[in-house]
Formats: sequence, C-alpha cells, structure tokens
Amino acid sequence: MASGAAAASSAVRRDSRYALLFLLPTLVLVVGFVAYPVVYSSVLSFYEWNGTATPVFVGLDNFLRLAGDGFFWAALARNLAVAASAIVLQVLLALVIAYCLVRIVGRIGRLFLFLYLVPVIVSEICIGLLWRFIYNPYFGLLNAALKAVGLQSLATGWLGQSSTAFAAVVAVMSFTYLGLYVLLFVAAVRNVPDSIYEAAALDGAGHFRSLFSMTIPMVWDSVRANVMLCIIGSLKTFSLVFVLTNGGPNHASEVVSTYLYKIGFNAFEMGYAATIGFAQMFLTAIGAWIVFRGLRSSKAGRGD
Amino acid sequence: MHLNSRWSITRIGVLAFLSVHVLVVIFPFVWMAYSTLKTNKEFMRSVWSLPATPSLDAFVQAWNTGALGTYSLNSLIVMLGSTVLAVVVATAGGYALAVYRPRWLAGIEIGLMIAMAIPAYVALVPLVVMLRAMNLLDTHLGVVLPTAAFNVPVTLFIMRAFFVTLPRDIIEAARIDGCSEFAIFWRIAVPIARPAMFTAAIVNMIWVWNDFLFPLVFINSPAKKTLPVGLADFVGEHITNYPVMLAAIFLAAIAPLVLFVFFERQITTALTGGAVKE
Repeated sequence: MASGAAAASSAVRRDSRYALLFLLPTLVLVVGFVAYPVVYSSVLSFYEWNGTATPVFVGLDNFLRLAGDGFFWAALARNLAVAASAIVLQVLLALVIAYCLVRIVGRIGRLFLFLYLVPVIVSEICIGLLWRFIYNPYFGLLNAALKAVGLQSLATGWLGQSSTAFAAVVAVMSFTYLGLYVLLFVAAVRNVPDSIYEAAALDGAGHFRSLFSMTIPMVWDSVRANVMLCIIGSLKTFSLVFVLTNGGPNHASEVVSTYLYKIGFNAFEMGYAATIGFAQMFLTAIGAWIVFRGLRSSKAGRGD
Repeated sequence: MHLNSRWSITRIGVLAFLSVHVLVVIFPFVWMAYSTLKTNKEFMRSVWSLPATPSLDAFVQAWNTGALGTYSLNSLIVMLGSTVLAVVVATAGGYALAVYRPRWLAGIEIGLMIAMAIPAYVALVPLVVMLRAMNLLDTHLGVVLPTAAFNVPVTLFIMRAFFVTLPRDIIEAARIDGCSEFAIFWRIAVPIARPAMFTAAIVNMIWVWNDFLFPLVFINSPAKKTLPVGLADFVGEHITNYPVMLAAIFLAAIAPLVLFVFFERQITTALTGGAVKE
C-alpha cells in the first residue's frame, strides 16, 4: 500500500511538472499579451499621458473625470442596449430558427444553416461597407425599396442622423451574428432525444408548446452559454460600429470601444483611454457575475 | 426524425418564412456579387437592377488602382504567422489540460475563460507601449503576437475537446513501454490530432484574416497594412466608382467564403466545440 501511495504521489508530481511544461507557451503568450496589458492598463489609468512624453501621475483624476463623463456612460449604456437587443434578436430568434430547422424543416435545414453562417464568416469590415450602400441616403437600397412601395416619406440618411444611426447599427449586428447562435442551437436541439418529442406529441402538444416546455428546458445549459457569449460579444463590439458610423453622428452611436479608440488614438489621451478600458472590464466582470447567477437561479426556480 | 407530414401547412409556412428571412440576411452579398458586374453609369441609374451586359471591368480596375495585392499579401503573412503560432501553442496547452490532472489546472482553465471574455481594446494602450518598447510597432510580428495571444484560449479549448476523446489506455500503454512524456505527445498525440489542429487552424485563419482592431492601431505604413484596414482606406479614396468599390469588397470577402465552402464541417465543428464548453 505504501508503495502504491508513493507511486500515486510521484504520478501527481509528474503530472504537475509536465502539465506546466506543456502549458508554458500558452502562459507566456496569454500572460504576456493579455493579462499583463490588462494589469498595465490599470496602472496607466492613474497617469496622464499623451503617448510620447513622460507619463504624469495624477492620482484618481482620470476616475473622477470618468465618473462625470456623460459620453462614457452613454456609450456603456449603448453596449448594454446592444446586449439586450442581441439576446432577443440573435439568441432568442436563433433558438426559434434552430428548433424550426431541426424539428420542422428537416434535411434541407443544412442549406439554411449554411446561408445563415455566411455573414459570420465574412469580415465585419466588408459587411459594414456593404450596409453603408444599403443605408446610403442618395442611392441606398433601403430608400430605393421604400420608394418602390410608396413609403418615400420614410426614406432618410439612416447612418447620418442621430435619431436612426444607433438602431441602424444594431440592425446590422442582429443580421451579422445571428448565424453563430443558430449553429450553436442546432447542435443543442439535435441532442434532445426524439422520445421527448414523441411523448409531447402523444400529449397533443403542438410545436409552440413543444419548443417552450420541452426544448428550452432541455437545452437550458446551451441557452445560458449563448446568452453569456452574446453579452461578452456585445461588450467587445468594435469593427461594425467603427466602419458604419465611427460612433457618430455626434456620439449618437458611440460604444465604449469606439470612444476609447477616439480618446486614445485621435486625442492621444492614453492615460484616460486606459482608464476607460479598465473601468469597462471591471464593470463587465460584475455584470457577467450577476447575469450568470441570475440564469442559474432562474433554472433552479423552474424546478428542473 | 419524425415529421408529421412532409408538406403540412406548418412546414410550408415555416419554410416560406425562413426562406424570406435567410434571403434578407444574405441579400447584401448577393447584391454585391451582381453589382460588381455593372458599370458605374448603370449602377447610378438603378441600384437594384441586374447588370445589362455583365463585365469584369470593375474587378480589373479595383485590382489595378488599389494596393489590394499588397494588402492581401500582408494579410496572408499575418494570418499564417498568427495561425501557426496559436495552433502550435494551443495544441500543447490543450493536451496538458486534457491529459494531466493536477489540481491547479482548474485555476488555469478559469483564467483562460476570463481571458476569452476580455475585449481586445482594453489591452490596446498598454500593447502599443509594449510593442514600441520591443521595436515591434508597425511590423507584422507586432500584430501576430497579440493576435495569436488573444486567439490561444479559444483554440486551446477546441484542442482540449479533441484530446479528451483520446483513449487514456494508449497513453498508459506508451508509458509502460517507457516512452517519455514528450515522445507520447509528439509521436502519438500530435499525429492523431492532425485533423483537429487543421480544424482549429481554419477558424484561426478566418478570424485573423478578418481582424481589424490590432492591424488598424499597430500598423502605420500603407505598404504594411492588412486587407480589412487597407480596404477601409481604399473605399474612402474611391468614392466615385461604386462597382469598383464593391469589387474591392468582394475580393476581400471571397477568401474566407471559399474556405467556408470547402471546410464547412470543420468550421462548424470548431465553432460549436470552441464556444460551448462544459
């Protein structure tokens, strides 16, 4: 027995040593270029710095400025609005589409899935540039279509007006990322055993009830994962906003990333830009924690 | 699969609705494809109409006037560098996470999940400082290193998902035969993992090819810009000829689409395996 325990403990030591060796390149890269910059950004947020001169320590000045910076809070609120809209227009819609593809459409569902994934594969810059054509006030496809059906009174410069710019950006996002969630839910819905549906059909449940009272509880883990993924993605969003409106007009569609980019790389207020990034990450961590707990307890509350 | 009836009212209704919906989703791409075949005059007369006499002039002009060739080459360099680095590093890391069992691995796993949630722009200012100190600002290597670092965690989870399916008996048998741990990894695990590495490489290639923020900020010289950044410049400069602009966008979009057509199964596997853990 003693030698068995010794062998086991030497196996543990061996595991520890080799696990570390195999993970070393990962740790070097991730610590060096992800973790360290994040910590560094927390340090830089106590400095005023134009990117070239020596940074000047300014204590909490940047944080005080941030607290009173309406543009930042409005941008953060827009990130949250993006997340909220994405949960409905991407995750929830994708779940319904995935259910339809697997349970109703059948084999040619594969073709639909392929087409839904096209915008996920193409770069956001290309997609943004294309949508600029669609939204163009002079020859845009959207305005041309509105004219064709006699609604020319609605035609407008979608991206150039404060009242419509943000909604126009959100609409593009919802088309662009939808496919990823359709794919993820198709995988999850396929894993639900057929017997569950057969039982439901015997009970006389239609597709509507079968989706909400059978499928959604069965794929709840996947719903939770996808909502998290979608919130994280919404907070990361940059390229589409940058290429569509660059946060304009007059900050009307500004999100945190485009605001940080402008502060850091147009105004060269690097210290304050670091503060924005750090604060964003800190707030995100708290938000993610709350959502994660909420989704877990809501499952417990459903009694399954 | 049991469907009540192949052509029930429900099924026809759902098919009709989804067909319209999916057409709206991909319409911008369809429209782009046929509009590149129009002349500018035709385009200005009607944006919706099909080309009367399709011509490839817009492509020729886009290729000749812009530096699209240079941008594509730069994108290719960054894409290959970053993909190879991320996949090699993540293969070793994913293997460690799947095969070894020390307690502290759980901590590493949580750390990597947190790293996946960190937006790249949070690290932007410090990365500029670091790259400048390393003399890597305005170089392709300066884009490759942080890009690979941000892609490693997802790639690692894709690789781990593969390695956990590797039968442990193989590893134990090799150990009894006196194989070193490195030999087991290199001679046994890696050869079996080649398809998974390929899958991880394909999605990395698409991510890096499409990446915008890092090359936008870290590269200044026009001759070193990658395709998405160069494309944004190109479109800004050539605002008069729209089919030429569309042809440039088309050329930038086509590479990932071709990969997707050929490797649809690998890409969907990687996306579902890497994003849904637990």
